[in-house]
Amino acid sequence: MKKPRTEITNQTAKFLLNAYRPSGADAQDPAFRDALEQAARDPELGAWFKEQRGFDSMIAEKLSGIEPPATLRSAILAGIENRPPERRFSIRPLLALAAVIALSAVVVVPMLNRRNSGRQLVDQYRKANLSMLAAVPAPQLDLMTASFSRTQDYLAEMQAPCIPSPPAALLGLPTAGCKTLRWNGHILSLTCFLLPSKELLHVFVIAQDAFDSIDIGRDFQEFNGWHVKFELLNGMLLMFVSRANMAEIKQYI
Amino acid sequence: MARELDLEVIVGRFYASLYRFALSLTKSEAEAGDLTQQTFFILAQRSHQIRDISKVKCWLFTTLRREFLRIVRTQTNHPHVEFRPEIHDSPSISADALRTLDAKAVIDALDRIEPTYRTAVELFYLSELSYKEIAETLDIPIGTVMSRLSRGKEHLKAILATAIAENSDKIIPLNRDEEATY
Repeated sequence: MKKPRTEITNQTAKFLLNAYRPSGADAQDPAFRDALEQAARDPELGAWFKEQRGFDSMIAEKLSGIEPPATLRSAILAGIENRPPERRFSIRPLLALAAVIALSAVVVVPMLNRRNSGRQLVDQYRKANLSMLAAVPAPQLDLMTASFSRTQDYLAEMQAPCIPSPPAALLGLPTAGCKTLRWNGHILSLTCFLLPSKELLHVFVIAQDAFDSIDIGRDFQEFNGWHVKFELLNGMLLMFVSRANMAEIKQYI
Repeated sequence: MARELDLEVIVGRFYASLYRFALSLTKSEAEAGDLTQQTFFILAQRSHQIRDISKVKCWLFTTLRREFLRIVRTQTNHPHVEFRPEIHDSPSISADALRTLDAKAVIDALDRIEPTYRTAVELFYLSELSYKEIAETLDIPIGTVMSRLSRGKEHLKAILATAIAENSDKIIPLNRDEEATY
């Protein structure tokens, strides 16, 4: 049996109809039934409701004209795809990172003291960074943003090294975010770029004076699926790391 | 049994409206993008906690707003609140006058609504959430949502009416090309 109609004032009807969505999605909602019937009967209320819906539609239409940045959708999807698998507790990545740092302090640092040649030190630095990237679950970024300039502002604020004179092609890529790290008593930074293939391109930056001497190759090398390249630039050692294919990486570096 | 979330479909369906809501909160395109990205990242991390897929939309808007409030608290960056006189009469605005406004003017007007009412109105226009979903998102009673929508829309109309009146008072000089055609 249909519920008997309830008399409501126009003021009450206006109060209710203000919550009625301009798309008409609430047409079947019984909460609006009496107010809608009243608007159909009463010309003054009907006129008000017509004007209100017109106003609401116009505002909603204006706002729907705001387009998100073109790269946002792909940046979101890439960020999701590169998340650590099966992560249930947010403390785990931090513990993993702490373990890596502790391991570096206990194992890597004494080794570095014993074997202090330029090549060996850079190798240790590479291994430490690759271990961190390969850790499961992966460590979280400090700042997640698609904006390269925001990553560098953040790193500067944290007094971590920024990427000096990045290649123009690299600047055209959205970033996933950045992170500050410490290795062998030196602060370093990690900035992650999103390649069109949705793979990440990681750029570690550390001051050159973290090493007594530096012996680096000129081209990419491969370590367990990671393509790695070092570059010295403006007193900084840059380490580029990615699992993307070489043809794609070389478009940006 | 809970169905697994198809994150790609969810991103495609909601990222634009979430971005618009984030933009209304942050007033910065870069921060809105970051906030939207962060919200989906949290969804991906906690997707196993979501039992009812029909609630994903509410969950996303709730999470984005919470993240925004967390960041605001972290930065101790309290928004400037301007006190305005009570508005009793809702002014009538013609459709033609409204058409003269662009999306930025509407966003600016939303920002000037009294803070108590603002978020409910923003969610109403930007998210297409129903009044029940807005109540759930803001964790307030349904009656309060209706009250905030009613008062907030009055404020919005008054602000837009003022903006339109100010625009119509401006003298806009013709540029040289336009002059040449006369």
